[in-house]
Amino acid sequence: MTTVLPNQVPAGTDDADQTCGGPLLLLIASGLLWLVLGGTLALLNLIQVYTPAFLADCAWLTYGRLQAMQETALLYGWAGNAGLAVALWVLARLGGAPLRGPNYIVAGGLFWNLGVTLALVGIAVGDASGHGMFQLPRYVQPFLLFAFGAIAVPGVLAWTGRRNPTTYAAQWYAVAALFLFPWFFSVASVMLTFAPVRGTLQAVVATWYAQNVFSLWLAPVAIAAVYYLLPKITGRVIPSYDFAVYGFWSLLFFGCWMGGRLLVGAPVPAWVSTMAIANAWVVLFHHIIVFFNVRDVFRPGANTTLKFLALGMGAYLLSAVIDTAFSARALAVTTQFTHFQQAQTHLAMGAVALILTGALYHMTPRLAGGNWPSVALIRAHFMAYIIGFVLLVGSLAVAGWIQGSALNDPSVAFTQIAARTKVWLQLATAAQALLVVAHVLFAAHFFKLVGGQMAKCCATRGILTSEATVS
Amino acid sequence: MTDENLITAHEKEAAGAPDTHAQYRLLPLVLLFVFSGLIFYAGAYLNRYSGHFSRDIFDERQLPASGQPAVAAIDPVVLGKRQYALACVTCHMPNGMGVPNLYPPLVGTEWVLGSEERLIAIVVHGLKGPITVKGNVYSAAAMPAFGQVPGGGYNWSDERIAAVLTYIRQEWGNEAGAITAQQVAAVRTAHPDRKEWTEPELLALP
Repeated sequence: MTTVLPNQVPAGTDDADQTCGGPLLLLIASGLLWLVLGGTLALLNLIQVYTPAFLADCAWLTYGRLQAMQETALLYGWAGNAGLAVALWVLARLGGAPLRGPNYIVAGGLFWNLGVTLALVGIAVGDASGHGMFQLPRYVQPFLLFAFGAIAVPGVLAWTGRRNPTTYAAQWYAVAALFLFPWFFSVASVMLTFAPVRGTLQAVVATWYAQNVFSLWLAPVAIAAVYYLLPKITGRVIPSYDFAVYGFWSLLFFGCWMGGRLLVGAPVPAWVSTMAIANAWVVLFHHIIVFFNVRDVFRPGANTTLKFLALGMGAYLLSAVIDTAFSARALAVTTQFTHFQQAQTHLAMGAVALILTGALYHMTPRLAGGNWPSVALIRAHFMAYIIGFVLLVGSLAVAGWIQGSALNDPSVAFTQIAARTKVWLQLATAAQALLVVAHVLFAAHFFKLVGGQMAKCCATRGILTSEATVS
Repeated sequence: MTDENLITAHEKEAAGAPDTHAQYRLLPLVLLFVFSGLIFYAGAYLNRYSGHFSRDIFDERQLPASGQPAVAAIDPVVLGKRQYALACVTCHMPNGMGVPNLYPPLVGTEWVLGSEERLIAIVVHGLKGPITVKGNVYSAAAMPAFGQVPGGGYNWSDERIAAVLTYIRQEWGNEAGAITAQQVAAVRTAHPDRKEWTEPELLALP
């Protein structure tokens, strides 16, 4: 746990943090609100899996729409906002100067969140696009693209105007995330919505997009945070750092090919999924290098940020191994279209969320200019999050395996499969409920910290103005 | 560690110190081998399962036909079993028993073992609405058209339909005669522009 006393400005805070504090805190705050909302929707959604009648009377909250809503809220609301805040902060810190153009973040952030809100309402009334990870209604897509562009401007300025001509791994990953999202988002938007390609090609584009969201956007942001925070906190240089560049390019080159893994057995030419599976193996090179570079994160320590980073990094590497192994056709035969794939998604996205959470624990006190008010809240959040996360992924994986094996056996009826997996799905629901508790604790703690600092700030200003009027 | 130090320290690390003590670093070699291994495996996998990157090949174990096509007699039961596993199995189940109240069975039923013309018509043009099979009424039965007919989504050739019908008439203890492609073609051409059949219409057929 952090040993700095409450209300004491943490060490290493400087102008670079203070100037970008407001806009980045705005992104983080909205991200946390989406996290709580998305987690709650995910909980309701999970109950519907084994209680089909639950909320089935309300068209807005039927299974399909709720699924798209929780996915959108967590992906674009939580990970989008928090990820952008972390990427911008890393670029500002390593750029060595206060962020230029912070108003772009405020304007872009408002529009981004307005866009996500509109997307959720649109999905609720039935306008979802129907592509996983890209459920945004058509009228929201251009909106989000321009909002992202606005938020990214200060990041690009911090990169081009950096004080130090040499660059660091965290900067590569953060800049890549900022530049690549608009590219694949606009391509998907045109090819799926505005000039849709025909037939099964849509499925190919949609899986390509979904893979890119992870491999070219969220994972690079998370890795940037780890590369930056690890030496910053431990004070040690990254071991074998000279290989980091290969890890970076192998992810960028091969990562975006992996989407077709999900199309095994689909009516697409065989080479699409074969190519994806082959690339999933090559991307392991990236994971090996990242492991060699950031292995210090797994040393036992007392720092909250490092604990979250260690768990996130562990989940990231484990998810790569599992995704590669289960993309093999022999295993995919059992796990495809089951809860197991849900577990895989939770593991990958959870890795990003854990790392972002760790980064927020480090960033927020520096941005707000004060420390976390309660050690007990941090502990409670950590425990609830970890237990919930492990339980959720584990129980969904078991449920998926049972489901997949039973589905391949023609003598087992559907109702029997549902009965066999029910207890595991209930366990997953309990885990998701625990995660919601964790999210609420974290959000409440954040608002307590930021609210306290704002009150203090206003009080000081109030005294100053009243003195000025008296004199 | 300040940000300035962080960048310069890692820059120095990346440049690499001159190897004055002749200390051989194992890691670069290991990583080279690991990368080569992964590329080798990926290449071998691609070579084996890419179907020569043909746009027509959907089964990763199949290779595109080249040169003179090999002529071989096709066992209709083998072809039929494959066709069955491609589509029919979804509703009628691998054991041909269907799903109670939803999808009618194929084992020992009057429709499969009885009139050949009716059976062919169902598969070629599809079927809609209630149908009675072995005394049970399947009120929401809906079977898509499999033949090369307008609106047919599967576009199976007459040979394939003949093969799958022969298969279901001779599998699971069913014992009925084979169906030929000529019979299928006859039914298909006798009823051009047909939509899905209904039970009364089928019963009107011989």
